[in-house]
Amino acid sequence: MSSGVDVNLENIWIKFGDFVAVREANVNINGGEFFSFLGPSGCGKTTILRAVSGFLTPSEGRVLIGGKDMEGLGPNKRPTALIFQNLALFPLMKVWENITFSMEVKGASAAERRKRADELLDMIALPGQGDKLPSELSGGQKQRVAIARALCAQPDVLLLDEPLSALDLKLRQHMRTELREIQQRVGITFIYITHDQGEALTMSDSVAVMRAGIIDQIGDGNAVYDRPATPFVASFVGENNVFRGKITAINGDEALIATNRSGELRSKITPAAVGKLNVGDEAMMFVRPEMLQLGAGDAKSTITAKVVNEEFEGNSYSIYLEGDGGKQIKMAMPNLGTDPHRAKGETVSFSYDAHNAVVMPAGDLASE
Amino acid sequence: MKKPMIFSEFFRNNGKLMGSILFFLVAFWIIFLILLPQLSMLDYSFRYNLPPAEVGGPKDVYTLRNYRFLVKGPEGASDAFNYVDLAVFVRTILAAMAVTIMNLILCYPLAYFLGQSKGTGFVRLLVVMLIVPYWINEILRAFALRIIFGDVGVINGLMMQLGLIDQPYDFINADIALYAGLGYAYILLMLFPMYNVIESLDRNQIEAARDMGASWIRIHRRVVIPHAKPGIASGMTMVFMLSAGALAAPQVLGGTSSLWFTQLVYQRFNNTLDWPLGAAYAIVLLVASITIVLTFMKIFKVNMGDIGK
Amino acid sequence: MKSNILFGRVALGLYLVIFFGYLVGPLAVMGLSAFNSAEFPSIIPWQCFTYEWFSTLFHDERILKGVKYSFIVGFGTVILSVAIGLAASLVLTQVWEKWRSTYYTVIIAPILIPGVVLGISTLVFWKKVSDLLGGVDVLSNGIFLTILGQSTFIASYCMLVFVARLQRFDPGLTEAALDLGATHTQAFRKILLPFMRPAIASASVLAFLASFENYNTTTFTFGSYPTLTIQLAQMVRYGINPSISALAVIIVVITVFGALTVEVYRRRSKLKAGEIRQGKGLPAWLFGNTATILLVALSFALIATVYTAQTYSPAQCKADYKAARAAEVQAKIEALRAARAAAAAAAAANGEAPADGGTNAPATQGGTGGFGGVFAPTNLEDAAGQSNGADSGAAAPAAPFGNVFDPGNLEDAAGQNNGASSAPAPAAPASPFGSVFDPNNLENAAGQNGN
Repeated sequence: MSSGVDVNLENIWIKFGDFVAVREANVNINGGEFFSFLGPSGCGKTTILRAVSGFLTPSEGRVLIGGKDMEGLGPNKRPTALIFQNLALFPLMKVWENITFSMEVKGASAAERRKRADELLDMIALPGQGDKLPSELSGGQKQRVAIARALCAQPDVLLLDEPLSALDLKLRQHMRTELREIQQRVGITFIYITHDQGEALTMSDSVAVMRAGIIDQIGDGNAVYDRPATPFVASFVGENNVFRGKITAINGDEALIATNRSGELRSKITPAAVGKLNVGDEAMMFVRPEMLQLGAGDAKSTITAKVVNEEFEGNSYSIYLEGDGGKQIKMAMPNLGTDPHRAKGETVSFSYDAHNAVVMPAGDLASE
Repeated sequence: MKKPMIFSEFFRNNGKLMGSILFFLVAFWIIFLILLPQLSMLDYSFRYNLPPAEVGGPKDVYTLRNYRFLVKGPEGASDAFNYVDLAVFVRTILAAMAVTIMNLILCYPLAYFLGQSKGTGFVRLLVVMLIVPYWINEILRAFALRIIFGDVGVINGLMMQLGLIDQPYDFINADIALYAGLGYAYILLMLFPMYNVIESLDRNQIEAARDMGASWIRIHRRVVIPHAKPGIASGMTMVFMLSAGALAAPQVLGGTSSLWFTQLVYQRFNNTLDWPLGAAYAIVLLVASITIVLTFMKIFKVNMGDIGK
Repeated sequence: MKSNILFGRVALGLYLVIFFGYLVGPLAVMGLSAFNSAEFPSIIPWQCFTYEWFSTLFHDERILKGVKYSFIVGFGTVILSVAIGLAASLVLTQVWEKWRSTYYTVIIAPILIPGVVLGISTLVFWKKVSDLLGGVDVLSNGIFLTILGQSTFIASYCMLVFVARLQRFDPGLTEAALDLGATHTQAFRKILLPFMRPAIASASVLAFLASFENYNTTTFTFGSYPTLTIQLAQMVRYGINPSISALAVIIVVITVFGALTVEVYRRRSKLKAGEIRQGKGLPAWLFGNTATILLVALSFALIATVYTAQTYSPAQCKADYKAARAAEVQAKIEALRAARAAAAAAAAANGEAPADGGTNAPATQGGTGGFGGVFAPTNLEDAAGQSNGADSGAAAPAAPFGNVFDPGNLEDAAGQNNGASSAPAPAAPASPFGSVFDPNNLENAAGQNGN
C-alpha cells in the first residue's frame, strides 16, 4: 500500500457567483497525517474537500497532491478516494462488487476482484458477507464497506466527509477508534471533515478550524483547545466562558483586561495574538468551565457572581452564574462527595489560574 | 448541491462524451422538434398559398391574408365577418371550457375518495380499472360512444324497444355525443393529477379541521382544495388544451352541421390544400388556448412548475 | 348520525357506479357488439352470437398494414423519446437555478401544445428542410415525420417519468463512481442506467402506447404510411362494421393482461423486498393472489374462447333470425297494406286524397334518410346497403320503397335489397372478405362491402 503523500492547498479561493465559499485557504498536510477540517455546517469545509477530490475547480489557487498540481484532473484521475457523508454505496450491487468497483472500471477479471474483495472483507472484519446487498447490512457494517471500497482503489489520500454523522453515539465512538487504527495501519494521508469537535480532537494529528469560508486556525488538538487563535475557535471548540472588556496593560504575553462586569482580570495573550494587542483595544478573555474553581484567589483573577442554577451530572456539578451581557458563566466541578449545594441567588467568589485564560482581540463568537 | 451550469462545468460534470450526447439530444429536441417547427409554422401562416414553382419567387412575400380570412372571410364576401369560422372558434373554446369544468366536478369526489383511502386492495383494483380504458385508442373510445349514442345505438335502441320514442333521437347532431366523448376521452388526465396531490395530503389535517368543528364544505374549501390546487390546475390545463385541440372525437362524434375548430384546420390542410391558411388557423388555436391557460393560471396563482406533476 | 353515514355510503356507492359506468360502460358495449352478427356495430337488437368479425379483422389488409406501420413508428418513437427524455431530465437536474423554470417551460410545452398543431408544424418545417436540401426524399417520408412529430411531445412524458425517478437518485453515487476511477461513461452505464432501468421500462411502455394510439399529430404526418389509428379513423368515418369492435376487444384483453401481469409482478417483487405491510383492508398478499387468480382465469377464458371459435358457427341462428325477421316484416306489410286499403277507401270518398297518400309515404321515408333508413323494419338486416343506395342517386330512394310495396318480393325483401345495393359496389372489394365467409354469410359480406 502506498505511503502517504503531502497535500498542499495554495491560496485557494472558491466562489459560486457572488458568494465566496472559501477564502484564501493555505493548508499544508504532511504525508501520513490524519488531518481534520472542523467547522459548523456551511463553513466551506465540504467545498474544500470537493476541490481536493476534483469535483470542483477552485476559482483561484492550486491543489497539490504529492507535489503534483491537480489542475485539470477530474476526480477519476486523482489519487484520492472519498468516503461520502451518506456513504454512497451502490444499492444495486453486492457488497463485493461495491468494494471492487474501482477494479471493475479498470477491467480487472471477476476472479481477481473476488479475491481482493475477500481480503478486504477480512480486513474490515466482515468475512463472508460479500454476497449481501448493502441494504442488508447494519450502519456500522456499511461504514466499513465504504472504507474498504475506498481503500481498494489504493488511494494516496483518503478523504472522509462526515462519514460518522449518520451513526448513533455509541457506534460513532467505536468507529472513531477503528478509523484511527485503520489509518495507522495503512499509513496513508487522511483528510477528515467534521462538525463534531470530539471526533476532530480524538482522531486528528492536526485540525483546521473553519468559519464562513475562512480557516481561523490550524494546529494539533491541544493548540486548538488550549490556545485558540480567535474568539470563534475559542467558543466553537469545547465550552468556554467569555469576558469582554478593554486592554489596560500588556506585559509580555500577559495582559490586564478591564471587563465590563467582573473588574480587572489577568490573562495570557493567546500565541496568535501576541504583538497584535494594544492597550485600549476591545478584547475577549476566555476561561474554560473546568478551569474555574470556587474560592477567592489572586485579586486579578477572582470573580464574584450570583448563582443562577446548579445541575448535578453524576461525576460533576455544573454551576451557572450571572455573567456578562446576559450570558451565564459556567463552572464545572468534579463531584468529590463533600460539596454542599449552593442556593440560588447566593453570591459566590471563584477564581482561575491566569495561565489557563486566554485573551485576544474581540471578534465573532460561534453561534450556539 | 446547487451548482451554476456554465458550459465548461456541464461538460466537467458529465464528461466529454456523455456531456456531448446529452447536449446534442436536448438541443435537437428543443431546436429541431419544438422551436423551429413552431417558428416555421408561424412563418408559413404569413405567406400566400403558392404553387411550388413560385415559392421563393417574387410573389413569395409576407401577408396577413390568412388571418384576414379567418376574421373577414374570403375577399368580396357579402358578410362583414367570417361568421361561420368565428362561430366555430368561439364554440370550440367555450365547449372545451365546459367539458373541463364538467370533468372537474365529476372527478373531484373520486380523486378525494381514492386519495384519502390509501393502500387497500379495493382501491388498487379501482386504479387498475381506471387505467385500462385510458390505454384504449382515442378513436376506439369515440367509436364506443358512437355505438351508444348512434341512431342504431344502445340508448335509441333501448328507448325504442321500451316504446319511449318511435323515432331515434339524433344525439350526434345535438352534440350530446360529442361532449360526452370529449369528457370521456380526457377524464383520467383530470383525475390522476388531483389524485396524486390529494394522496399527499396528511389525513391529520382533515381530522384537525373536523375536530375544530369545520363543516365538510369548509374542510374542502379551506384545506383540501388549497392543497390540491396544483393538481387541479394541472388537470384542468391538460383537459382544456386537449379538448380544444381534439380532432378524433369531433370527427367521429361531431354532428354534420357543427364543426370543431381543429376540423377546420384539418380541412384547410387536407381538403382545400391551403397550408398557409391552415397554419394560420393552427396558430390562432395555439395562441388562444395558451393565452387562456396562462390567464387562468395567473388568476388562480398557479406556477408552470406545477403542471405535469 | 347513523343514517347520515349510511346515506353517505349509498351516495358514494352510487357515484362510484356512475363514474365507472361512464368509464367502462362504453367499452363493454363496444366489446359486446363485436360478438353480435348485426352488420352495424350494435347490441340492440341482439341478433346472433358470432366470431366472424374477428375473422374479418384478421383478413383486413388495411388493418394489418396499419398494425405494421404502427409498430415501426412505435419503436422509433420509443427509442427517440426515451433517449431525449432521459437526457432532458438529466440536464434539468443540473441546469442553473435561474434558467430552470424557463427550461422546464420549454420542455413541458409540447404536452400542452395541441397535437394538431404539432403535426402541422412538423410537417411544415421538415417540408421546408427537405426543400432546402433539394427535396431529399427521406424527410417527406411519413414514418420519419411521424416519429419526429410524436417524439416531440412523447419525450416530455418520458421526461416526467425520469424526473420522478431521478428525485430519488443520490448524485453522490455517480460521484463515488467517478472518485473510484470510473469514466463518466462508465459511471452512467454502471450506476445511473441500472438505477433508471425501471423508469426506462415504464417510459418505454408509456411512449409506445402513446405513439400507438396517437391520432391528432399522425393524421398530418403519416404521408403514405397510415398507422393503425389512421386506418381506424378512416374506417370509423367512412364505413363501419363490428370488426372495429373486435379490434377493441383484442386491445382491451391485451391491456388487461398487461395490467394484471404488471400488478402480479409488482406484488411479488414487493413481497420479496419485504415492503408489504398489513394494510387496513385486505392483506396485501391476498390482492397479489387476486391478481394472479384473475390472470389465470383470463388466460383460461381466452383459450376456451379461441377453441370454441374453431367449432362454433352462428349459421343456424342467423337463418332463424332472418326467418323471424321476414315474418315480422310480412306482418308489418300486411298492416301497411291494410292501412293503404283503408286510405284508398278514404280516397274514394274524397277525390284528392290518393295523390296526397302517394306523395306522403315516400316523403316520410325519405325524411329519415341516410342512417334513419336503418330503422325501417324491413331494412335492419342490410341497413348499410340501403343507405348506400340512398346516397348513390336520386332514383335510389324509390328502390327500397318499391321493394316494400311490391308484393312479389315480400317473401325475402331483405335478400333482394342486398342484391340491389351490392350491385353498384362491384365484386372487387369483396375478394379479401369473400374467402373468409362461409356461404351462409355471403349476404352480410356484400352488404358490408356496399359501404
